[in-house]
Parts: sequence; C-alpha cells; structure tokens
Amino acid sequence: MTEAHEHVEGGLYAARQKIYPREIAGRYQSLRVYAVWALLGLYYLLPWVRWEGRQAVLFDLPARKFHVFALTLWPQDFYFLTWLLVIAALSLFFFTALAGRLFCGYACPQTVWTEVFLWMERWVEGSRSQQMKLAKSPWTKPKLLRRGAKQFLWIAFALWTGFTFVGYFTPITELAGKIAGLSTGPWETFWVLFYGGATYVNAGFMREQVCKYMCPYARFQSAMFDRDTLIITYDERRGEPRGARRKGADHRGQGLGDCVDCTLCVQVCPTGIDIRKGLQYECIACAACIDACDEVMGKVGYPKGLIRYDTQNGLDGRPRHVARPRTLGYAALLALLAAGFGYAITHRNVVGVDVLRDRNALYRERGAGLIENVYNVKILNKDAAPHEFVITASGIAGIEIDYGTAMVAVGPGEVKSVPVRIRVPRAELHGGADIEVSIRTADASALEASGKARFLAPTH
Amino acid sequence: MRDAGGEYAGRMRWPRLGQDVAIVAWSSFLVASVAAMVCFAFLDPLLVGNDDYPPPAFSSRMTGYAVGFFFFWLVAALSSLLTLYLVRTARSDHSDRGAEEGTRGPE
Repeated sequence: MTEAHEHVEGGLYAARQKIYPREIAGRYQSLRVYAVWALLGLYYLLPWVRWEGRQAVLFDLPARKFHVFALTLWPQDFYFLTWLLVIAALSLFFFTALAGRLFCGYACPQTVWTEVFLWMERWVEGSRSQQMKLAKSPWTKPKLLRRGAKQFLWIAFALWTGFTFVGYFTPITELAGKIAGLSTGPWETFWVLFYGGATYVNAGFMREQVCKYMCPYARFQSAMFDRDTLIITYDERRGEPRGARRKGADHRGQGLGDCVDCTLCVQVCPTGIDIRKGLQYECIACAACIDACDEVMGKVGYPKGLIRYDTQNGLDGRPRHVARPRTLGYAALLALLAAGFGYAITHRNVVGVDVLRDRNALYRERGAGLIENVYNVKILNKDAAPHEFVITASGIAGIEIDYGTAMVAVGPGEVKSVPVRIRVPRAELHGGADIEVSIRTADASALEASGKARFLAPTH
Repeated sequence: MRDAGGEYAGRMRWPRLGQDVAIVAWSSFLVASVAAMVCFAFLDPLLVGNDDYPPPAFSSRMTGYAVGFFFFWLVAALSSLLTLYLVRTARSDHSDRGAEEGTRGPE
C-alpha cells in the first residue's frame, strides 16, 4: 500500500482518490496557460463591452432577440445557429483527426475552469506534496485557515462566473446594480447560483470525473482517430525496459531503455493515468506528461521526446501523413462552410413580411363590383436603422390595396402589424387565388420582401 | 521507487442504482437543453394556447421556457430510463446460455 491509499475520497460519481496533479512547467503548459487567459478573459470581459449604446453581446430571451455587436438575430435567423453548430461539429472532427483531443486539453470549459481552480488550490495550499500532507493532517487551526481560504476563493470565483453567465442574458450593468441592492429576480438568482454552483462542483470537486464518466466526446473521439492522427504517446520501443540507473551509466549496456521510471508523467497527470500503458480514453491530451518527461530527459542527458505528439505510423517507424485526404477534405469543407456563413450573415435580408388572413370574414362585396379581403400584414425591420415601407399586392388583374396611409414607418428592431384591405374586380375571379404581398423600403436602401396569401371570392 | 501504477489504483465505484440515476439524469439533461433551444426558436411561449380563447398558457416567456425545458427533461429521462432498463435486463451473451447459475441450459 502506498501512502495515497489512505485518503480515498467519496467522489461525486465514483468513490475515488483525490488526484493531486503535480505542477509542471514546459512549452505545452505555457500554451495551456495562454489558452486559459484568452478564453476566460473573453468570457468574463465580453458582457461589459458596449456597442452603440447597448451591451455588445446580449442574448435577450424575454424579447426573443440576440444581439451580437452590429447584428441582431431573430428567431427567424435560427438557421444561422444551426449552421454555426455544424461548423463547430466539423471543426471538432477536423482537429480530432489531425491531432486528437486538442479541444479537451486546451479549450474545453471543464479543463479551463479546473485549471483555474487548481491554481487557486496551489496558491493557498502549496505544492502537490504539501497538499497531500495537509489532507492527511488533523483539523488544526492552520489547516482550517488554509481550507477556509481556498473555499472562500473558489466560492467567490464561482459566484462571479455565475453572475457573468447571467450577464449574457440580462443587461450586466443592471444585474450588477440589482445584486448590489439584493433585488435580483427569481430567475436571475436561480441561474447565478445554478451556473456558479455547477462551476464550483465541476471544477473544484468532479474535475477529471466529468471527462471520465460524463463526457460523450471522450467515448466516441477514438472513432475519428486513424494511424496518422497525432496523439500523445510514449515511445515504448525507445523507453523499455524502464528502470532506475546511476547517473552517467551505460544503460544500453545494462539492457535498459530510456525511461528512468521516475513516474513524473503519472504525477503530473490530471486524470491520474499512466501514459506508458498506451492510449487511454481518460487522457485529455493536456500534454503535461510531455513537459514533465522532456524536463527529465534534459536532466539525464537523453534526447527529448520519449513522450511526444506522434502518430501511430510514426511510432512504428513508418512515414507520417498529417496532410492526408481525410484532413484535407475536412479542412476544405470547413473553409467552404465558414465562407458561406460569413457571406450569408452579411447579406441576409433584414426585412421580412408575414401575411395573415383576417379569420372573421371570408370576403366582402363592395360597390362597383369589387370583392374585398382583409389581411393583417406584419412588417419586420431587423435593420439597425428605421425604415418607411410601401406595401403592394399582385397576382390578379386589377388588384388594389388600401392600408390607410402612403407609407408605414417601422423602427429598428421592430415589428408592426398593418391592417390591409385588398380589392379585386369581381369579374376577374371565381372561388379563390393566390396573391403576393410585397413590402419595399421607400428610401435608397431598397430592401424588399414578400409573402404569399390566399384571396377568396364567391364561387359564382 | 514508488509503484506508479498503484498510486491511483484501488478505486471503488458508486452503487449501480446511483450510477443509473446519474447516467439517466445527465444524458437527458443534455438532450433536453438542445430540444428546448430548437423548440423555442420556432415557438413563442406567449402564443401557446393564445387563440383568443382560452387565455395564454404561460404568464411570461421565461415561465414558458422553464416549463418547456422541464417537460423535455422529463420525456428524455423516461426514454433514457427505458433504454437503460432494456439494456440492463437483456441477456448479456447468447453464446454461454445455461452457463450461469439458475438458467436453463439447452435441451
């Protein structure tokens, strides 16, 4: 039994021993730190950015409008979100085929927030061995103080995270005022606590268990791997048989490989696996073992890269094909979709029209041999500027339209319902016919849209 | 030199019931989130049941979203539960029929 066996924790899903990843510096760990700063910086600062007098990024659910800088997205623009999700999924395929679980190691919110919680834990409780010692020590005053300080930092950070999350859905400056005055509504309170609580539990306690037990991607990512995917691997042919040796000894002569069996690769692993046993689905590709091993190899004077990013073919001594039909195909498709998305979102129609028949009357006979139908025409102005619209109708000879005024003014981001009477000479029509109602802006923008409707007339 | 493999060995698992509840709740939560998002992109909760009479089904959009989400969660959880039940109760391997105790072997 090793010392670690004595503090088995009741984990949240599987009873587990708490994993104390050893701190490690190196090029991949620096990359991860930059990723944490970039992603979390974006997350925490974005809601505070202003754009033309309003919050730049605001998903206004009660008003059913999403603001993203100059864009205002309506429920009708839902397909853009679908498109974006397709691009996201394809990116995941592409990067997984290229270099394995890059997303898990560098960009997944679970990894990123866990990393920050680990920093706070280390800052308060010290290094890996100090943390393990503290965990075993009785509840003395210093332990109480350190544990209390850690919890305080974690909870404060988690609450700020929850507050920021809700700040994407409700104006964040107002929300800050409400929180300061303790007057948040029930939904806001619930979501701040829910998201904050989820962050606290996931990043503080569940950590690698989320990846191991809850993440669907961890289970199916291997299906996207092939023999040319870059993965984090231990070079078994070079490293084995592993074993301790005296410094400067001729290990080859003693029949030993390059692995000095220092177990640092295991100690730095946030999911607690031994990479030397081969690729395992618990591996989140954080590359901490690469950094740890490179450091050791440097110290003992062996070439670096005993644990490295490599392909299965590379390990077997065959040529590597990072650019291959699969990755090139994904890349081309991805570029095409992204370009299409960029074009569509900048060229989308910012006006729209809905034509609804008045359900109370089929038709009315007017003087001078005219049949009249009444409609409710809804004009959508998704543009950032106000517009005046002219409504026209077509589809039947001699069709006339009457909506009271010459032009309908609709403000930016507004919908206006206009009661419209459409008249057709009786002689032109028996029964019913389809008509088209069009709107066009009267100004230089010349935006237009049209909708179809049914016009009803007597059958005889 | 410490036995590296043994450092984190000896993990125990939750009881089966706990695992089942967690798997069902979590996977249906994911699906319900997507379902609620797609559903309310097309459907305005304020217009549900608002056909002049009877009055609107929900007093505010946020209430409508919440009720919708929990409804989806419930439905998805029932489906997951049924799936899990069928998988858990199925005979695991047809080749060794009769090999387990209490089951009848081939005639």
